Amino acid sequence: MKNKLTVKDLINIGVFTALYIVVFFVSSFIGYVPIFMVLLPVICAVVVGIPFMLFLSKVHTFGMVTVMSIILGFFAMLLGRPWPVLFIAVAAGVVAELLLKIKDYKSIKMAIIGSGVFSIWMMGMTLPMFFGYREPYFESIRAGYGDTFADTLYAITPDWMFFVLIVLCVVGGILGGLLGAAVLKKHFKKAGMA
Amino acid sequence: MQAVISFKESGGRATLDPRTSILSIFVISMVMIGGGLSGVEYWLRLFCCLIPFVFLVTVHNYQFAAIYLGLYLFSAVIEGAVIQLTSGGWNLLFVIVAGIISRFLAPMVMGYCVMQSTTVSEFVTAMERIHVPQVITIPLSVMFRFFPTISEENKAVSEAMRMRQISGKKQSLIKKMEYELVPVMMSTVRIADELSQASLTKGLGGDIKRTHICEVGLRIRDYVLMLFLLVVTVLFVVY
Repeated sequence: MKNKLTVKDLINIGVFTALYIVVFFVSSFIGYVPIFMVLLPVICAVVVGIPFMLFLSKVHTFGMVTVMSIILGFFAMLLGRPWPVLFIAVAAGVVAELLLKIKDYKSIKMAIIGSGVFSIWMMGMTLPMFFGYREPYFESIRAGYGDTFADTLYAITPDWMFFVLIVLCVVGGILGGLLGAAVLKKHFKKAGMA
Repeated sequence: MQAVISFKESGGRATLDPRTSILSIFVISMVMIGGGLSGVEYWLRLFCCLIPFVFLVTVHNYQFAAIYLGLYLFSAVIEGAVIQLTSGGWNLLFVIVAGIISRFLAPMVMGYCVMQSTTVSEFVTAMERIHVPQVITIPLSVMFRFFPTISEENKAVSEAMRMRQISGKKQSLIKKMEYELVPVMMSTVRIADELSQASLTKGLGGDIKRTHICEVGLRIRDYVLMLFLLVVTVLFVVY
């Protein structure tokens, strides 16, 4: 096993992060219906699990998952989320990386769990709805999106919802991981690509 | 979609230094997406909308500038007047349309302008100057290079599906996802391999520092814009 990230690894990270972001955005279009806006991380976690599992099948070196999470964190900041997003993303990335490392990046089970842990980074995307960011965020939503949207959203997001969502996110990620593993087995193993 | 998120291929020096450009994207998206519609924030938003407009005019992209201005006027009218006049479902619809335009257009157009005027090597060099490690810059530049490829591949897949008369309507969502996503993922893997071979032959990944011929440096306009952005940020955070 190599210990240093090669150019090939870095390019794999770039390519798969791009795919990940595209899939993430396509699946997040559902978010303009208020109820789904809260469940958004969960839905995305399931869909995004598929390319993520393919990415994991290419990971052999320590650091690849972490770098991906750093890039995703910056991306979320670029979309106007508050700065703790970056920390949440990197923390999720590192934990997922360590989990994978235990089994030397070879175990599918660990990959599925890792996909669950990794998808916690999406909580950062919903962060402005909770805690200290809540009031100003809803004020801006009220101004920008109107009362109907804001009231519906406000009613279904008390603070404890954040923790429920974390759990749901992990579950969604694991589901996505399972789905991804199934897809890999069905299509990519046969073609000798995973 | 394709042109929005890929770097300029070649040509003269960028209008702005990549560092200033990235800072301005950050500030604009912070203000536009997070900001409210009243008080000081209103004026800050107005200022931030103008930056991409001025940028478009300076690079002589008048047509795009006009469309941009038109869209903003449209959403301003809706947000200013129509929302108060309607209610219920129509209100929600208007709110969503205007919200998407007024919140996301400016950062997206700014991103477009930056990408259109910056080459990859300028970007990488500027990142090197602020000591961002290669571990981050290489994936980032690959990522931006890859977005248009994904949409191209996706188009090819949809065409192939249409040719074989596998229309999306009859299948369930899961099946559709599988039919679209798996081929795209397949070609992703293949392209990633080819890209890394190509970049190895260009000497990326050696131990020796790579040289380049592009000019990167902060000029007066960069300092002026940075000053403005700093003022905007301070005002935004304080109020």
